[in-house]
Amino acid sequence: MMTFRFAKTSLAAALLITWGASFAATVPAGVQLAAKQEMVRNNGSEPDTLDPARAEGVPANNVIRELFEGLTAADGAGKIVPGVAESWKQTEPTTWVFKLRQNAKWSNGDALTADDFVYALRRFVDPKTASEYASSFGIFFLHGKDIVAGKLPPSELGVKALDKHTLEIKTPYPVAFMPDLLTNTQLGPVHKATVEKFGKDWTKPANIVGNGAFTLASWEVNSKIVLTKSPTYWDAKNVQLTKYTYLAVEDGNADVKLFESGENDMVYQLPPGTYEKYKAQFPKEIRNSPMLGLRYYSFLNTDPLLKDIRVRKALSMAIDRDILAQRVTADGQVPAYGVMVKGINGADVTSYDWASWPMDKRLAEAKKLLAEAGVAAGTKLKFSYNTSDYHKKMAIFAASEWKSKLGLDVELEAMEFKVLIKKRNDGEYQIARNGWIADYNDATTFLTLVQCDSDQNQQKNCNRKAEALIDQGNQSADPAKRKALLTEAAKMIMDDYPMLPLLQYTVPRLVKSYVGGYTATNSLDRYRAKDLYIIKH
Amino acid sequence: MWTYALRRLLAAIPTLLAVITLCYLLLHLTPGGPFDSEHKLSEAVLANLQAKYHLNEPLWKQYLLYLNSLLHGDLGASFRYEDWSVNDLVAKALPISAAIGGGSLLIALFLGVALGTLAALKQNSVVDYFTMLLSSIGSVFPSFVIGPSLILVFAIWFKLAPSGGWDNFAPRYMVLPMALLVFINVATIARVMRGSMIEVLSSNFIRTARAKGLPMSTLVLRHAMKPALLPVVSLIGPLAISSITAAVVTESVFSLPGLGKLIVNGAGNRDYTLVLGLVVLITVVTVVFNLLVDLAYALLDPKIRY
Repeated sequence: MMTFRFAKTSLAAALLITWGASFAATVPAGVQLAAKQEMVRNNGSEPDTLDPARAEGVPANNVIRELFEGLTAADGAGKIVPGVAESWKQTEPTTWVFKLRQNAKWSNGDALTADDFVYALRRFVDPKTASEYASSFGIFFLHGKDIVAGKLPPSELGVKALDKHTLEIKTPYPVAFMPDLLTNTQLGPVHKATVEKFGKDWTKPANIVGNGAFTLASWEVNSKIVLTKSPTYWDAKNVQLTKYTYLAVEDGNADVKLFESGENDMVYQLPPGTYEKYKAQFPKEIRNSPMLGLRYYSFLNTDPLLKDIRVRKALSMAIDRDILAQRVTADGQVPAYGVMVKGINGADVTSYDWASWPMDKRLAEAKKLLAEAGVAAGTKLKFSYNTSDYHKKMAIFAASEWKSKLGLDVELEAMEFKVLIKKRNDGEYQIARNGWIADYNDATTFLTLVQCDSDQNQQKNCNRKAEALIDQGNQSADPAKRKALLTEAAKMIMDDYPMLPLLQYTVPRLVKSYVGGYTATNSLDRYRAKDLYIIKH
Repeated sequence: MWTYALRRLLAAIPTLLAVITLCYLLLHLTPGGPFDSEHKLSEAVLANLQAKYHLNEPLWKQYLLYLNSLLHGDLGASFRYEDWSVNDLVAKALPISAAIGGGSLLIALFLGVALGTLAALKQNSVVDYFTMLLSSIGSVFPSFVIGPSLILVFAIWFKLAPSGGWDNFAPRYMVLPMALLVFINVATIARVMRGSMIEVLSSNFIRTARAKGLPMSTLVLRHAMKPALLPVVSLIGPLAISSITAAVVTESVFSLPGLGKLIVNGAGNRDYTLVLGLVVLITVVTVVFNLLVDLAYALLDPKIRY
């Protein structure tokens, strides 16, 4: 029965996800393109590397997405579309088969084959490569977890080239979101001969060989990276931009000044507190899309004061997320009451019943909980956050909520980002600022924040019953059943109040009105230059 | 004089060593390491990274390994910019900082000396008032105020120059940052030069020369300029060093890929090798500039002998 149901699901999935050949920039009818198809955008900072396996930060991933194409990709609207693979099928609950397009090539003209993916994926999980994402993504491949831990050799990874253009991926349990996961740059191909010939210098402009829509023309550290359209890309005829430049401007104000003076077509992100100002100043160019990201505060669940669930619940109830969103951050973010955010696949957003209560009722309940827990007015709390005006504003607001509504005395402790990360990882804090952007569009990316034994669980909470539900859900090949189980697990965990969800991220930025192909639905903010174009202006 | 120069350079070695040691210890004592990131690394990956950068060795051994690399001219691999060595990064950033900082210092010296001299010769005139006003503005307003003001006026309102960025030493990208540094340095140099020139002009040997009927131009250029320049020369060392520190702000305001940006990012990222490499560089520049200033003194003042 199970096999039959799975077969139906996978057939439907295979039919749904097997498309035609062309998915690049769709220029709407009537839109006239500019003669010069060149664009400049800010990347926020200098990429840490251009080696896909080792990339960690958003700036690196942005550039790599142009230079390398994985088996699948996300289009401008954030929809999963074929990349190097023209079709794929889940042949068994734990087996995926990808058919690679025949005309996929490397920028040096070499044919791209399934072996290139086998090599790249083995390299990615090899501890010698020291990829920061190996433990996050490696676990979704058969034996990946043990390879990342150094217990098995990379050759044991569940990835096999069935022939030159067919790749088989085995997973330890049904990974329904595999096509989504594979859009991550870390899981894309690399050109073996180039990597082995040039060693650590293989990513330099003179050496690098990619398979993306663009090639690396120049790389000036801390200044800019210039990409030019690749003639060998399989869909080159549908790529409009001929030159795409990434700036490495970290200062948000300098970024906006470049935009205003015409040196930059797309701001990385608006500086804190400027959204309303620029919305009024640039009504046609302001953009603010919701993102799969959660702003939250971590409670150290093992702390003598916070180990009492009543205290954690009271602290969560006292924060008015509506005021926080509308008056404090004031940049279009949405209040959050659970670990899942709107738009995530694989689980529904859950909320607390008290979220809709009037604040008076919430406060009465919060005070009652604190009294029951024996927490007197004037009790001290320590809140740690990393130095930034944005986080400071939010921290002051939260401290004032807890002080004015619950009578608690909050000490704010500002520190460098690296120091905060270390304190959170080591469990040397009481309450700490935190945030998470989804690595892929599936509930499991957020569940890692609150799961037992997860490296990302900085609250040190654990709910074994919820863990069992998650395991059960992950073993299920039925998407609806899995979704129900993961939703139930997420709700069960959040009913323990391990953390304090605050807001769902948005990406407020300025984009020139003549940039076409930019949408408000790309919830992971992963745009590819192949989907963008310059309108005549 | 050459023996003196050599002696000074040799004496700088213990200073350099002390600076490196102190910086090394401070960096390693600072909480938060280079591999602390949002995605917590697996033990195996972390162990590999630590082994790659020798962080698994005792601190004294790491220090000796670093000194050994340094002696071989290798500043090590960057922890943050994984595709580049520190040598690569410094080689790319140094010419930019040198062009902006050094170029603006030379222009500021020329303008500052000229304005200071004119102001001294025309005391209480429009030129004098203008120079003093300029000095006051340059001293009072910090670069992070003047910089954005220049951008607003020249880049956004009049679109005469880009508001920032860099393109292979293209002059249009250098104009505004250099204008900012020139402005700040001119203010200091002109004020010092004015005071010094007034003092020299009122000295006995100038009065004698004037009594002999020497034309003013000869008097100033041939007799007064040299001694009047002494305080300005002593300023060059600190100004050159402050050009590097000012670069931190200037490079941030104008998004320049120079040393200032590297050192700020390096410190934040706990990029030990990058910060150490830049500290070594700045210390060497400081030692060399101070030595050059001392040697220039001897050329300007015959009374000074080494």
